[in-house]
Formats: sequence, structure tokens, C-alpha cells
Amino acid sequence: MSHRQNDPGRRGLDRRRFLTTAALGGATIVGASALGGLDADAAFAAPMPSLDPAISRSAFAEGRITQIKGSVLEVAGSHGDQHLIQLTNATSIWKLRTTTADQIQVGDGLYARGVDMPDGTIAADAVWVNIVNLYCTVKGIAKDRLHLAHGAQDHAVVGHIVADTTTASYLGGALTSDLSRVRIGQSAQILGAWRPADDAIDIARVTVGH
Amino acid sequence: MACGSTSLWAGETTWFCCGSAWGPCGSAGGGACGTCNSSAHQAAWPNASQSCWNITRPDLCGENMARRGCGSVMNVKHQCSGATVCVTVSDCGPRTQSFCGESTCCNGACRTNRVIDLTPAAFSAIGNLSSGKLPVYIYE
Repeated sequence: MSHRQNDPGRRGLDRRRFLTTAALGGATIVGASALGGLDADAAFAAPMPSLDPAISRSAFAEGRITQIKGSVLEVAGSHGDQHLIQLTNATSIWKLRTTTADQIQVGDGLYARGVDMPDGTIAADAVWVNIVNLYCTVKGIAKDRLHLAHGAQDHAVVGHIVADTTTASYLGGALTSDLSRVRIGQSAQILGAWRPADDAIDIARVTVGH
Repeated sequence: MACGSTSLWAGETTWFCCGSAWGPCGSAGGGACGTCNSSAHQAAWPNASQSCWNITRPDLCGENMARRGCGSVMNVKHQCSGATVCVTVSDCGPRTQSFCGESTCCNGACRTNRVIDLTPAAFSAIGNLSSGKLPVYIYE
């Protein structure tokens, strides 16, 4: 990382200017990682600068996608609100893994972070599609899935193990593809992507506790 | 109540969903305070009440943070980036005792044990949701 990238104020300013420009259609394509918005499991807790210090808080939206018009996502918020999310060349998109906009579908849920634009849209810095982070108890283990219970009502949910994607962390240790130490009855934090079609989850990472 | 700068605690933060929501979060409800909302800058604190403490039991991991009930305000700061977010306690959590000894690091410095949970709006203000957890300082 260059010295310039380590200057939070400078990065914030550049980032906002870039997002704004990108949303208006004048951006040169650059990697989102240069803006601090790229996600990777290996980048646990990577420092992320605030957006432009002149902005007291970044914009945030959540809900389900009702329509996709070009690079704009129409989102129905869970509280009856509506959002227009503008994807730009700088938008980091996560759907089980870092991915591209063509993987986003109507009916998906999302959380989006960005900058409010004058036209009422949010120019997104990052969009996390269908992401969930659930505290669960492991109820059953099969070759390709975990049977889980979460929430006060012990809602049953199936967590699918995805080849070449699902990893495990045992008490915060290094990520491994070895899930053999997961046991029935253990507490587990499940980071993954909800599947609207069957209400199951594709597991990105299972963090096992005591 | 304003967000202060007096040091309160340090450790890991994770994120959770609550209130009206899509997917499996739809069953989460309004949390222990009845006001929890994923879109608001809110947090869950492991000592929000005695009954909360009895569930989270951070003392079993050596964490004996003070009681701060519903409506308490905290400033949560990313240990490395310095990004901050002001949050209101709106739920009980995380279950610290279930992950005793877990640590999260950045720039070679680590924070141990889950001591606060943030809503998606709050967590994403200081980090990326896909990281799942962050090392933070907490002020009030």
C-alpha cells in the first residue's frame, strides 16, 4: 500500500470524488481495492477509511431488489421505504464471494453503503447481496450441509457447504477448508449468502465456538 | 445523549440483524429493547441487564464490562483505520462466552473476545460486512 493510500483524509476525498464521478458516467475503471471497498476472506478486519470527512455519515440502505434497470437497483426497504442504488465502476459487490453485477438478481436482499447523490440515488461504494451473519447452534452434520438453529425461537435453517468456497475458523484461528472439527451442539457464527429460492444459506465461513 | 470520548472497553465487534428484515433475519424481531433496527446505528451490549448478562456471560472470558442499558450511547472506533460510529444500545449480545479467546487483528495488533455487536448500518460505517468481525475501541 502506498503512502498516499495510508492517508485516510486523502483516501476519503479521492473516494468520494471518484464515486460521484463514476455515478455520473465519467469514471475510468479502477480496482475497488484502491478505494478500500474490496472484500476478501483473507482480509479479516482490514482497515477501511471513512468516507469524505465532510460527510458526517455514509449513506446506507437495505431491502430486497424489485427491479434492475441498467446499473441501478430498485430496492424495497424492510420498513416500506424505497431506494435507488447506483452501481459504479468503483462498487465492490459481494454475493457469497466478491463478484460482479451480473450475479445480482431481482428478489435478492442487500445492504448497501455509499454516498447520497443529488438525484436521490445512492452511489454505492459496497453492496453485500443476501449476506447474513447468524449466531447458530449446530443441530446436524451431513456431507454437503449443516443443519442449524438460530434465534430465540430456534428457527431451523440449512447451511450448504460450497466447494472451494466454504471455510471454517476454530475460535478465530486461521481459515481452513477442513470442517471436520465442527460438532453437533456447538455454537457457530455463520457468515454466508441467503438463497431466496429455498430459504437456505450458502456458507462462506463458519466460525466455531465452544 | 452525545457520543463521548471516555474509554469504556475494547475487543471484537461482530454484526447482527434485527427489526423488520429479509431472509432469516426476518425472525429476529426488535431485540431485548424492542427498538432494534438493522438500518439504524445501534448495538447489542453483553451487559444490557442482569438477564442479558446471564446469557452472554463475558466474565467467563475475563471481560467484566459495566452495565449499560437500553438507550445508552457509545462511540465505536476501528482499531486501525480510526473510523468511528456512534451507536445506541438496543439489544443484548453478543454471546461472548461462546467464543472465549477468539481474537481479531489488524496491522499486527489484536483484540480478544466479542464485546459488542453492531447492526449492519453501524458495522458497515466502519468496515465491510463480509469481514464479519473487527477489532474496536469503545468510548462513551
